[in-house]
Amino acid sequence: MKEHEHHKMQNMKEHNHESPVEDAEIISWKRKLIWSWLLTIPIAILMLSERLFNFKIIEMPYSIIVILVLGFPVIFIFGWDTIKSGIRGLFTLYFNMDSLISLGTVIAYITGIFSFTGFIQDYSGVAAMIMAFFTTGKYVEAKARGKASQEIRKLLELGAKKSRILVSNKEVEIPIEELKIGDIMIIKPGEKIPTDGIVIRGESSVDESMVTGESLPVDKSKGNNVIGATINQDGILYVKAVKVGKDTFLAHIIELVEEAQGTKIPIQRLADKITSVFVPIILSLAVLTALIWWLFTGDISKAIGTGVAVLVIACPCALGLATPTALMVGSGMGAKRGILIRKGEAIQTMKKVKYIVFDKTGTITKGKPEVTDIKTIDKISEKELLLLSASLEKLSEHPIAKSIVNKADLKTCKKVTSFKILRGRGIEGKIGADHIVIGNQTLMNEKKINLNKLIKDIESFEGDGKTTMIVAKNNKVLGTIAVADSLKEDSQEAIRRLNKAGYKTVMITGDNERTAKAIARQVGINEVIANVLPEDKAKKVEELQKYGMVTFIGDGINDAPALKQSNVGIAMGTGTDIAIESGDIVLARGSLIGVVQAINLSKATFRKIKQNLFWAFAYNVIAIPLAVGGFLHPVVAEIAMALSSITVITNANLLRRAKI
Amino acid sequence: MKKLKLSIEGMHCASCASNIEKSLKKVSGIKEISVSLMLKKATVEAEDYVSEEEIKKAVARTGYKVSKIE
Repeated sequence: MKEHEHHKMQNMKEHNHESPVEDAEIISWKRKLIWSWLLTIPIAILMLSERLFNFKIIEMPYSIIVILVLGFPVIFIFGWDTIKSGIRGLFTLYFNMDSLISLGTVIAYITGIFSFTGFIQDYSGVAAMIMAFFTTGKYVEAKARGKASQEIRKLLELGAKKSRILVSNKEVEIPIEELKIGDIMIIKPGEKIPTDGIVIRGESSVDESMVTGESLPVDKSKGNNVIGATINQDGILYVKAVKVGKDTFLAHIIELVEEAQGTKIPIQRLADKITSVFVPIILSLAVLTALIWWLFTGDISKAIGTGVAVLVIACPCALGLATPTALMVGSGMGAKRGILIRKGEAIQTMKKVKYIVFDKTGTITKGKPEVTDIKTIDKISEKELLLLSASLEKLSEHPIAKSIVNKADLKTCKKVTSFKILRGRGIEGKIGADHIVIGNQTLMNEKKINLNKLIKDIESFEGDGKTTMIVAKNNKVLGTIAVADSLKEDSQEAIRRLNKAGYKTVMITGDNERTAKAIARQVGINEVIANVLPEDKAKKVEELQKYGMVTFIGDGINDAPALKQSNVGIAMGTGTDIAIESGDIVLARGSLIGVVQAINLSKATFRKIKQNLFWAFAYNVIAIPLAVGGFLHPVVAEIAMALSSITVITNANLLRRAKI
Repeated sequence: MKKLKLSIEGMHCASCASNIEKSLKKVSGIKEISVSLMLKKATVEAEDYVSEEEIKKAVARTGYKVSKIE
């Protein structure tokens, strides 16, 4: 086979591999379950009719032989995987859950053989019943676990399998693995966009809900970015592939979600410690229990029965599953809404958070400032002032600079020399012999430029939440340009909900006090930290942390240090890019409602984890002493054990009912 | 340093996950291990000199099989 084809096949195999693993497990348990019960039900009838009604269907020694014959395949054929894994565990000293079950069933089965000596009661029927119930439990458990991971599995399968591309003006369908950067994809209405790209022709709206949680379709036309795995709604789109394979938005989301599953949550530590020593402890306890019962009662049958009950009742699984299942359901619910929990620890920390600190630009506001007002003094016209400013601002990358450049008609741009950026304050440069300074009040004060004639206008603009840029020529003020960055649609609603929930909301910004306060008032934020240089945001977060835990919300690129400094960093996505490295929680969508949902989801998931751990501990604390005390029949013990893990997973699945 | 993702077959209980973690910890050169019971996957951060064979062996010791390494 050619190397290329071989690779292709492997890729396809891998692709199909992801989901059926769980299903194969369910099917295998189901098969074992059916066969086990077919053989175990006659055993149960034999045993119960004798025990309850004292009615012997088959006479005594023969009935044991029948049970031994029927029970053998239940334990050693359909239960073989469990027995094998358990016995190997005993020999390699890597004990596991199976070690307990296999020891319990094998010992019980052997009593049947030795019962012919007359010393020991026959437990071989019990052995078959234990294995049958164990198999049933595993089957239900596998199904419940499959349900717990359903959202995440959907995410894994979300990617497109094929792509239609343009090759020398002809449409050709290729497998997704062969798609290369730069290929032109053709996406018809109702089709899945194969990979991340940029629209080069066509107009349509695209349903992005599956990856960003945004419920409304997003309009796309030439120049817009589209995300792979989203669905094209009404028009034909021609899209140039920009990212493929592991670099796509979807691949990043999957990586985030998958990695989070392995992260440890502090509350789980005790459960983990117990799990790792659980099986050897139970083994010793079972032996001890049997010995003590034998010693004190002289009844070897009761001693064996009690020992077996201890072996099969103890269940590290409920303890071990408590956290991961709840985290799995929680992450899945989040992923559906564009909330990606990166570190499991965040959901525990979230509970203690007091301050919610927002970066202003791009988080509370849209991050696209626009020029709203121009005020000039002396003889200069508004147009002239704008042109003059734009000539300088053109050399700057700042969003405010861009807004001024956009507003000006830059056909007749002036030549600027000795241009300088004054970080956090403004810019300066020379046009001809004139020295031009554009910036905030701090800069004007620094340059000792008199603002008396403009101060009223500046204050009035800032009172409306606008940022003002003051323009001065040769140390004399010319005018001011006011720029406003409008609020995102749901910022107000999100902050109202957070305030109502009792959080202290804080806005951090480079704007001056007056502008910042005006915006804070509009959006409903309690506190403002103004005049902060971008590099000082982390320091401000640190100062706040003296008073309580802080959640910082900002974009993942510029705010990375502040996100890291905070106790729970929530990184905001911009729709097509995802900040993967910073942020304990990442939002795929730019809406602040996502923050409220992320907080609610974290709290609900953590509550579920606590409940689960409580039940798992309570179960073991109550059940093990009961078994040691000889109060539980081994079959009852096994049923209780199976129910304990099922309860924990079912409870985790109930998380979906939480209001997020 | 390299990061490897292992898909593990047969892992079905909490003690399995902790056994695999314990066994991998014993391989010298492996730094970070996280095992996800739910996804049946383990992520390992290891020095470059750690071979895939060694990792597979460590998992096999506990009775499970690595079906895929990425």
